[in-house]
Amino acid sequence: MKKVLVVDDSLSVARQMQKIIESSGDFVYVGHAKNGAEAIKMNHSEDPDIICMDMNMPGMDGLTALRSLVVLDKDVKVIMLTSLGGVGDKFTEAIKLGAKNVISKPFDAEGVLHVLREV
Amino acid sequence: MAVKFFGQFLVERGVVSREKLLEAVELQESRNLKLGEMALDMGYVTPADIQRAHNAQLSKDMRLGDLLVSMGILTNAQLHDVITHQKNSHLYIGEALVLVNALSSAQLQQQLEAFKEDQAEYVTNGIELPDGLPNVPVLEMMADLTFKMITRVLHLQYRIGKCECVSNVKPNHMFAAMPINGDVEAAYILSVSTGLQKTIARAILHEEDVESEPAEVLEDTVMEFINVVCGNVAAKASQIGKILNIEPPQTLEEPQKGLEIPAGYQAISFPIHIGEGEQMELVIKIKA
Repeated sequence: MKKVLVVDDSLSVARQMQKIIESSGDFVYVGHAKNGAEAIKMNHSEDPDIICMDMNMPGMDGLTALRSLVVLDKDVKVIMLTSLGGVGDKFTEAIKLGAKNVISKPFDAEGVLHVLREV
Repeated sequence: MAVKFFGQFLVERGVVSREKLLEAVELQESRNLKLGEMALDMGYVTPADIQRAHNAQLSKDMRLGDLLVSMGILTNAQLHDVITHQKNSHLYIGEALVLVNALSSAQLQQQLEAFKEDQAEYVTNGIELPDGLPNVPVLEMMADLTFKMITRVLHLQYRIGKCECVSNVKPNHMFAAMPINGDVEAAYILSVSTGLQKTIARAILHEEDVESEPAEVLEDTVMEFINVVCGNVAAKASQIGKILNIEPPQTLEEPQKGLEIPAGYQAISFPIHIGEGEQMELVIKIKA
């Protein structure tokens, strides 16, 4: 089963994602990082297959962390999870930097699992 | 389920690949000239004029076009001419996707119809605001999307009171705030009572019982709700050419004392009635 790391400063988003991932039967939830710097550390310690990461976080934001992650780990697939997905420039910037997809908030379980299964 | 831009909608539906979308975006970027580039292309300014204006922009908070006029480099008529030419020659993402063979013209029409239907629920309805406020379309979006997300995300019935200018936010259990900058300098503030904070937590966490949740989690759910609203406002505003940058949400201290609106700011308030004895208020603080 593929391992998923969630990166979001919001505890409630982490809780929602954990529930969706654990109930899927296809993925394993390996933990929650609160910002980009923690995500880079946890990518090293947990070795996830997929990272679902917020764009707008205090400290190191999601796009900065994405730039580093795609260089440090060529195998990890990053999906951005953001309320800013509908801003065209933000969406295309994430894709240009190497994100595999962008999930807009508010999200539902079906939409999240569809994207996770596609990457 | 959220405000989207057309390219994102097509990628999500699997109609175009992310690679083709990027190719189309690159084509747009090469074809759609910025204001300075267009003025240069039309022979109204020289590269040295643009450089002078960019240098002046470092100390003046003005758009390039307005600055070029104030420096006597462009006349108002020429600026108008440049903007009109920019609009008329703009290559939209759908057209760019046709040009890079990601879609046929017929498919583009079909997908535009489907997109319109998908986004219909986010079309702004009439919101009545007091007279004399700046950035009215953005303020209307903030209010309208808040109400729509109360229905879609929180699944609550509500009644909106009259919007008024206020000089303070009334005391309440919690204030969640989102600083906004860019084309609009504002703060989005949602004030909620104890019961409504728990109602929001139940909806965001998809839990029936939140009584044992720590205060930190209950506060976080309200902040996440305003994060979703403001992110969708930024997306909607980008469709009318307004850039809004949102910062991470925060809680404001001592909500039980209320909040004075400082000098140099205006504020509008929408009372939101949900249930007996509970209070929710949307306050938008705008730089005057």
